[in-house]
Amino acid sequence: MDRSAQAGPVANVLAWSVLLFLLLPITVIFPISLTDQRFLSLPYEALSLQHYVAFFTSERWLSSTWQSLVIALASTILAVSTGTLCAIGCWKLSTRATEIVRVLMLLPIIVPSIVYALGIYRLWIRLDLLDTYTGVILVHGVTGIPYVVITVTTALANFDPRLEQAARGMGASLRQTLAWVILPRIMPGIVSGAIFAFIHSWDEAVLILFIASRALFTLPRRMWDGINENLDPVMAVAACVMILASVLMLAVDLWARRKRSE
Amino acid sequence: MAALSHALTVDRVSKHYGPVRAVDDVSLTIGRGDFVTLLGPSGSGKTTLLMAIAGFVAPTSGQILLDDTPITPLPPEKRNFGMVFQGYALFPHMTVAQNVGFPLRVRKVGRAEADRRVADALALVQLDHLADRLPKQLSGGQQQRVALARALVFQPALLLLDEPLSALDKKLRAELQVELKDLHRRVGLTFIYVTHDQEEALSMSDSIAILRDGRLVQEGPPGALYERPATRFVADFLGKSNFIEGVVEEVRADGFSYAAAGQRFVQHGGAEGLAKGAPVLVAIRPEKIEVREAAPAEPEMNGLSGTIAAWSYFGSAFALLVDTPLGRVQAAIPAWRCPVEPSEGRAVHLAWTADASVRVVAD
Repeated sequence: MDRSAQAGPVANVLAWSVLLFLLLPITVIFPISLTDQRFLSLPYEALSLQHYVAFFTSERWLSSTWQSLVIALASTILAVSTGTLCAIGCWKLSTRATEIVRVLMLLPIIVPSIVYALGIYRLWIRLDLLDTYTGVILVHGVTGIPYVVITVTTALANFDPRLEQAARGMGASLRQTLAWVILPRIMPGIVSGAIFAFIHSWDEAVLILFIASRALFTLPRRMWDGINENLDPVMAVAACVMILASVLMLAVDLWARRKRSE
Repeated sequence: MAALSHALTVDRVSKHYGPVRAVDDVSLTIGRGDFVTLLGPSGSGKTTLLMAIAGFVAPTSGQILLDDTPITPLPPEKRNFGMVFQGYALFPHMTVAQNVGFPLRVRKVGRAEADRRVADALALVQLDHLADRLPKQLSGGQQQRVALARALVFQPALLLLDEPLSALDKKLRAELQVELKDLHRRVGLTFIYVTHDQEEALSMSDSIAILRDGRLVQEGPPGALYERPATRFVADFLGKSNFIEGVVEEVRADGFSYAAAGQRFVQHGGAEGLAKGAPVLVAIRPEKIEVREAAPAEPEMNGLSGTIAAWSYFGSAFALLVDTPLGRVQAAIPAWRCPVEPSEGRAVHLAWTADASVRVVAD
């Protein structure tokens, strides 16, 4: 084995500490969710599922889960359809202008969410979209576009443009070429983008605080309120539910990528 | 498959990319059922011209006609041309049968009819047994055949081929050249073939159009182009040539004589427009030069003495590099009746007849 590729002790310690720092907050939430106490803490005497029972019987938490799910799904559809078409359009035209468009599409992840939230808040007041599903789905959908543009652009970079020429040369219209040749080839990229867009909406906590008030309580917002008001361990359960959903999504992504490389 | 072949006319087509003239005022007529090769080095504009014929590139000026119909404004999907791309461009997510069936699916051909035509096309290229494979499970030669079947299945008006054999190894390429020519004979379609490989062009084409820097340099049947290249570039690009730069000494009825490096040579034909004292360029193929022990005694023979500078053996022939007063001359002689034993530094005499060489235009 190549000795130069082996890490020294300092690098090893550093790498493992960073890894632990990333993982510990996630892992600590699972024992807390199993606590036998009535406040946020590690289990004292025994493991208990009482807070899971509380979560899955609480109308408030269940409706929050449902709201988060609906918003995440709808905004994913919005982000995927617009983001994919934008990426394909930029790829096909491929001029200086489309390069600028592609950079502009990344703005939602460059601009701090709080700045973005303030702007949207002012606009939504005027458009009467505050505290509505439409309002939240629009915001989450638009801020999810960068993830789709990035993954689809990457997928298109590996797409052989001659396949498109071949399809057109054989008489396929633009629509047929898109449906039968381009989309099937870049589907793994679209799926990845969809998963990231979903997770983005699923755990988005800043924008929702600004544009929702009474009607909409997504899971992150419910947790935020819970932390401010009381230290109910059900929040840990909610966190676990969120993490599990995200992990499940990432597993799907991994599977899709593996399928692509087959 | 019906032999409904069409003629194609390229009429003064140019394609400029900014100041670059990728195709510069090219006119070309391709007859019905012909196998025509666009031959040229890379950057000569041959692929751009093919792409203009296919409709992927819009010419800056000029027009393209199929029989008598201008097709220049038509998008590629409306031209009904079959095309085999460099690297084949098979759809990786479709099976062989789905790939070949794609043009029929696009045309909404009925299922039973489509299945029958796909089977016919695959039989044509002897791949019927691999219909359910994916492209990546096929060898390069098989992929190439799938691309051919896919380009032929919808009975196109023309078949365009963009360096279809360039990715294959030499032996397979030679086999597929024979197959392709045979296929051309069977389907009777007009084939337009792009390559930079002069051997491929010579062995397959009815006609070759040689392009250089976007311009059409010379066009004609392979034999005519090889035997009577018009310019130095053609003589050099299509096969090998030695060049002799000389000055005309005497213009005769059947040719002319010229002097180079203090020696006198005779040339048959090609005297048009020449006068005594004019500079002239003559090309001679290495295989048309005889190598002898002694200077040629025949008065009509051109003779040149020199010493062998290097030689190599190719099984069928020896290639000699001979240093002469004219510079270094290449000669190729059949190995099995080589009149002199090649060795470096050996003195030899080169000889060729007045009709073995050809006058070319310097360019």
